[in-house]
Amino acid sequence: MKIKHFVEKVEGETELEFDFKNGIVNNVNIVFPFYRGIEEILRDRDALDALVITPRVCGICNHAHLLASARAIENGLQNAGVNINLTPKAISLREFTLYCEIIQSHFKWFYLIAMPQLANLNKLEISDNHILKASWANINTVKALAIFAGQWPHSSYIVPGGVTCDPTYEEIIQAEALIDDIIKFTQNEFLGLSIDEYYKTKEISSIKGDMGIILSMLKNQNMQEKGKSYDRFLTLGEHSAFTTGIYNQSLYSDANITYVKEHVQSGSKAKSVSYDNQFCEVGPLARAMLRKNNFILDIHNKYQDSALTRVCARMDELINLLIYTKDLLANLNVKELSCTLSKLPKDLEANGTGIVEAARGSLIHQSTIKSGKIQNYSIITPTQWNLSNGLEQSYGIATKAMRGSINTQEANFIFRTFDVCSVCTTH
Amino acid sequence: MSKLSKPTLLWLQSITCNGNTHSFFSHPDFVALMQKFEIIHHPILNTKYTLEDVVKGNLACDVLVLEGAFKKNGMKKMNKEIYTVAKNYAKKAKHIITAGSCATFGGMFRQYDTQSIGGFCFDDEVPNEIYKLFKKKLISIPGCPAHPRWIGSVLSMILTHRQIPLDELNRPLEIYGYNAHVGCSRSEYYEWKIDASKYGHKEGCLFYEHGCQAPFTHANCNKILWNEVSSKTRVGTPCFGCTEPTFPKKNLWHTTTLMGMPANMPIGIPKRAYLTIAGIAKSFTIKRLNEPIIKYKK
Repeated sequence: MKIKHFVEKVEGETELEFDFKNGIVNNVNIVFPFYRGIEEILRDRDALDALVITPRVCGICNHAHLLASARAIENGLQNAGVNINLTPKAISLREFTLYCEIIQSHFKWFYLIAMPQLANLNKLEISDNHILKASWANINTVKALAIFAGQWPHSSYIVPGGVTCDPTYEEIIQAEALIDDIIKFTQNEFLGLSIDEYYKTKEISSIKGDMGIILSMLKNQNMQEKGKSYDRFLTLGEHSAFTTGIYNQSLYSDANITYVKEHVQSGSKAKSVSYDNQFCEVGPLARAMLRKNNFILDIHNKYQDSALTRVCARMDELINLLIYTKDLLANLNVKELSCTLSKLPKDLEANGTGIVEAARGSLIHQSTIKSGKIQNYSIITPTQWNLSNGLEQSYGIATKAMRGSINTQEANFIFRTFDVCSVCTTH
Repeated sequence: MSKLSKPTLLWLQSITCNGNTHSFFSHPDFVALMQKFEIIHHPILNTKYTLEDVVKGNLACDVLVLEGAFKKNGMKKMNKEIYTVAKNYAKKAKHIITAGSCATFGGMFRQYDTQSIGGFCFDDEVPNEIYKLFKKKLISIPGCPAHPRWIGSVLSMILTHRQIPLDELNRPLEIYGYNAHVGCSRSEYYEWKIDASKYGHKEGCLFYEHGCQAPFTHANCNKILWNEVSSKTRVGTPCFGCTEPTFPKKNLWHTTTLMGMPANMPIGIPKRAYLTIAGIAKSFTIKRLNEPIIKYKK
């Protein structure tokens, strides 16, 4: 039996074509219907134009695209023998603004997707408070980001060699105050626990607040047993808060970009991506596994790569990044240079790859620059990893996770645990 | 206001990155504002109707908000051409808001196929065949994305029946009557023609070499600031003219020059007037403006 289901809200639209066998989901075809041609728009443009064009791939992770495009140019310059030597200040500012973007995206996932959809699954009535909370958390997080990046969405403050801003301590203090407010909100509303208590607890059952409600709704739906995929994880972007590598059924190894391959999928405008011809999950759970985060490793030991484990990893990443952003601000030295490069050579020849961890996982930009102009540009987005349909012999990550679901509503929620971003997928 | 008297609002997306949705969601009064409408459909909010209901075309729509560029054929949702759906609701609506440069002029996503992709009523600055039909109820809010307050204020003005003076591209003058340079924290450097030679400094103007389009871009970004705290030029990034029908131009980080002078003049300033003043300003060396504003001890 075939059933079509339309996924909408928050990040574009996707069609799921379910194939049921004996009353359970046997296969799912994920269709992203529209292609927007960003890679073609970039062709023949000045190398630096990518810093303005690529954020427009996505309204929710535009900042990750900006950083990936700057890193691609920098990597190309390095390959051409130019030293970049980013200052610690520039690195920290880039990390700070990227983590803020991840934090706002995770808050939106919990309050705008998980809360209402789980309530629906559990047949519970909830008030509109979750929208107000998502709004508050979002406003303050992107405000902290905008102090340095100028605006959110669609900043272009990261340039080859550093950042364009030159913040004062007065501005850093303003950002610190905002982060403190968000931490208070996280303790009072999101966790119902102090951060210290959160780090001491070894049990997710002691988590209260909105997250406590979300976790109990997940347990009610038996999500600790559902949504399991290949238990294979990949993190490719280099950042101070993450560890790169691949995890494949208990084995850790280094990751190498040369194993990444894109495949055209018939009927969908999105290409699928594999690593060494295998599908890998990317995103918060992958990052927690590669980071050997004890709290998530424990949950993973009990429930493997279930929907519950995936959601817990997103929660834990939000908390860890929030606390870590404080360190980044505390250690900023305004006396250092913001940007170490001046103008790019007019006739620049460079081939480079920029890899970034975005909210939903590893994002890759590859650019070929000839005579200062973009000759070719290629983007692989996180959702291409998680949401691609299978190759002939194997199911895609999300499809594998949805198999065995008893109805489309449940499968749809499992699909959502990967945090769908359809605008990114069909850039 | 009783529940029945709330005007209905339908937010419809076409070819977009969702940037205007997320921008507007960062409005400090987003929730309070949205509660003043009966929301028929919205990309973030949970609504009574699904997109499947929307594309059937039978729902109420007092205020239509459009996001994203339009393609007459080949941009379907639920098997319906979204352009046709938008036109259908536009006929019903009392007010049509094009939120962002894509919905207004075609913007970023028009660049992929300028023959078939454009704004709802304009292709770049040229009115298209349906402009005449809708011009009396059309409000353009270009920007990539539109500033949260631009969308919020226009919705509030509609609710409170305030007059909204518009320019020839249907942009509200209270917002687009200014240029993005107004309020720039680097304006002294602009006045005295002192360039920011490198990125990453508080000092210097970005108009002469780095492609800043603020003096000829219709927007009040530096007057009301982004996310209530900053703007591109305040963090040393040039303005890319994202509210203009020409966005995105090419060579965005380089100033187009004619005989060593910026080719684009500030809005309404004759070239001769600009050159005269620039020549005089440049003939002086102002010591203070050639030094760092703040000197931290090593």
